[in-house]
Amino acid sequence: MFKLERHTDISRKTSGLIVFLSLLLAFFVTGIIFYLLNVDVIQFYLIICNVFITPALLLQVVFRSIPIILASLGLVVAFRMGFWNIGAEGQIYMGMIAATGMVILHVFYGAIPASLMLVVMGAVSFLAGGAWCLVPASLKVRLGVNEVLTTLMLNYIAMLLVDYLVYGPWRDPEGWGFALSIPFPDYATLTFGGHPSMAGIIISIAVATLVYVLFKYTKLGFMLSVLGKSGEVAKYAGIPVGRVTLLGSLISGGIAGLGGLYVVSGMIGRLRPRISPGYGYTAIIVAMLAQLNPWLILPAGIFFGGLLTAGDALQSSLRLPFSVITVFQSIIFLCIILAEFFRRYRVVLKR
Amino acid sequence: MEDEDLSVTPLVELNGIVKRFPNVVANDRVNFSLMPGEVHALLGENAAGKTTLMNILYGLYQPDDGEIYVKGKRVRIRSPADSIKLGIGMVHQSFRLIPVHTVWENVVLGLTEAGFILNKKKLTEIVKRVCEEYGWNIDPNARVWQLSVGERQQVELLKLLIRNAEVLILDEPTSVLTPQETRSLFKAIRIMAKKGKGIIFITHKLEEVFEVSDRVTVMRKGRVVATKLTNEVTAEELANLMIGRPVLFKLERPEVKKGGVVLETKGLKAMGDRGVLALDGVNLQVHSGEIVGIAGVAGNGQEELIEVLAGLRRADGGKVFIDGEDVTNKGVGHLIGKGVAYIPPESTRWALIRDMRLVENIALKLYRSKNFSGRLTINWRKLFEFSKKLVEEYGIAAHGPSTLAGTLSGGNLQRVVLARELSATLDGKVPKLILAAYPTKGLDVAATEFVQGLLLKYRSMGSAIIFLSEDLEEIMMLSDRIAVISRGRIVGEFSPREKTVEEVGMMMVKGSMA
Repeated sequence: MFKLERHTDISRKTSGLIVFLSLLLAFFVTGIIFYLLNVDVIQFYLIICNVFITPALLLQVVFRSIPIILASLGLVVAFRMGFWNIGAEGQIYMGMIAATGMVILHVFYGAIPASLMLVVMGAVSFLAGGAWCLVPASLKVRLGVNEVLTTLMLNYIAMLLVDYLVYGPWRDPEGWGFALSIPFPDYATLTFGGHPSMAGIIISIAVATLVYVLFKYTKLGFMLSVLGKSGEVAKYAGIPVGRVTLLGSLISGGIAGLGGLYVVSGMIGRLRPRISPGYGYTAIIVAMLAQLNPWLILPAGIFFGGLLTAGDALQSSLRLPFSVITVFQSIIFLCIILAEFFRRYRVVLKR
Repeated sequence: MEDEDLSVTPLVELNGIVKRFPNVVANDRVNFSLMPGEVHALLGENAAGKTTLMNILYGLYQPDDGEIYVKGKRVRIRSPADSIKLGIGMVHQSFRLIPVHTVWENVVLGLTEAGFILNKKKLTEIVKRVCEEYGWNIDPNARVWQLSVGERQQVELLKLLIRNAEVLILDEPTSVLTPQETRSLFKAIRIMAKKGKGIIFITHKLEEVFEVSDRVTVMRKGRVVATKLTNEVTAEELANLMIGRPVLFKLERPEVKKGGVVLETKGLKAMGDRGVLALDGVNLQVHSGEIVGIAGVAGNGQEELIEVLAGLRRADGGKVFIDGEDVTNKGVGHLIGKGVAYIPPESTRWALIRDMRLVENIALKLYRSKNFSGRLTINWRKLFEFSKKLVEEYGIAAHGPSTLAGTLSGGNLQRVVLARELSATLDGKVPKLILAAYPTKGLDVAATEFVQGLLLKYRSMGSAIIFLSEDLEEIMMLSDRIAVISRGRIVGEFSPREKTVEEVGMMMVKGSMA
């Protein structure tokens, strides 16, 4: 009979290998499914690989991976403290709303000097995303409400709030009636040396460094880790569990909010409905794949940015709907969960 | 039951049952029998092995040795499903009911005889009939969450009775009941016995043994120390059997001059986890250089007391002072700052994080000390050096501070907790107050001596110490003063020289000065 035994310690190498194998498995399983659906599987694999080796496409890949990476870095903070934040998507949307709001304040009311625009937009997006995460966090702290449900539900509210704004009060008066905000002026656009991707890379690396430092060197990071490992022990150690939960979720949602800022200010240049193809959900998979390590978030995020880019190519060359990428992502997610299982347990043959 | 009639086959017979767990023998060659129509009390302190024995009979554990006979036939009970088939049922301390379901739904759950399609009318009829037999008044259609604790217990019993269980194991059934509910339970138990069922009644309360049982088996430290007919034994005899006589072994206890009052509680009240008053006006003083042992039968408020003192449980009345400062409900963090060290019960589980490294476990409280951190950051290098020193000092068998705590044995983990609590104080000084809850539980002789020695050492250095133990002899040996706790009150305080173990045991059990 097979029996499961708990791993007490597992080397980083084995752990990495298990995750890598799970990714291979995901490719394989997806291949089988698509084969059964009469898709040219070889072509499918080639298109995905092509995305990562063609320089022109690679830039696009990095570009699309930035919001995923930022949201994912936020999730690292939440997940490490055992707060299951499924609401990065909503927090991204709130970040977008806040950034756009600042632009509107500036353009129509002349508030905020142009030179300070990006700084103010950054701060306000961070706060807006953070506040959106603080709502479920305080419900959890005060009333013990499960955060998985509340963070998820708030996603839809944030998304619909964007709809309301761009169809209503924030609609561009010169936009021919389309549901769009006004375009962002140059000084409210995130670029570095003329490249928005470059600005995104710099922000991502900076935030990854901050998250790394938070957990490696700070008291807050240590308190968050202890809380994540055991709430009981955290209470025993005198850690102010409520306050730490609130602070951690503020940071988590705030970083996702920066992702939203990047989408409107770096990628699109204005606010419009349903702008995110699910960056906040993809970020969950990325955080799991990277095993909550802020440095690994960068390659993992780029991988998923690549899948999004490949989705476009698949649409045009194989005439597949974009949702095949969602299918593929989901299979990867299932395989990562499988890997998580094998990182914790060892299967032994026993009589 | 009248006399022991040899012509009747026992319902259950356990022969030489042995059950070993890592570090302890929970059951050591235990013999036990249950006759039809008998109420057999199983008496003993916590961790005496009562529940383990019954879990073996119920199929939750497999014995390492020994034989089980049910109605004269040798059986192997591999799971509760087996035991239910054999007519054995158990009511656990925590109920196994689904609160949102109705009474009859709970009763029918797992009842294979009910068939695939449930006949609600028939089933509610059956439930009603059984309720009438036992004088219970439960609506079969009521949802379980609406019922009182006593009624929920009746539902648990219903489950067994409808399955025609002939052997009913009740694990400390009165611990959650009000006196009225207890009376009604005892009445039901007598009716069951009259019908020829056998009831095993696990308890640590003497008066209940006399109230309800025909025969009593006393267990201590995994062994049966006596089986007697209840009407042939006195309360004193049972108390002595249960607590045991002191085994004296030497312990160096240097004379220490008692210092000023460190801890004082005035009329301390607190609720227990079950929402009943667990502390009912505790007045206690502990001086520096003094070990105060809290003696009490398990569940009389000692754990709640120590949790309130550690700041982990709210005081609902009264005051706690440390060095004259009112620290009532000031929170754990504040108390740690005041120099309170706390070794909780099951410390290796509740005071350590197994998938963190030793250095992080040492830092669990220390991370906020000015000596090891700045305003925002932690000086891990310094903590690492400090942990290295502690690993050596406390003889922790680990490669170094980077070892994952989860890879260490229980004894070593206990040392990690001790090292942190005693040596890793925020100000680097000796802890002012040490709360030690069962610090030697489950340890072997050498480790026990090490811990006891540590407590005495800190007593010499001026700490005030509160000490809990399930072992009365250990309390007598280690304490300068003993406070007996019963039903949430301190019912007696004295020096261990003034009383014998038997007298203290009696006081614990009776809840008043002997």
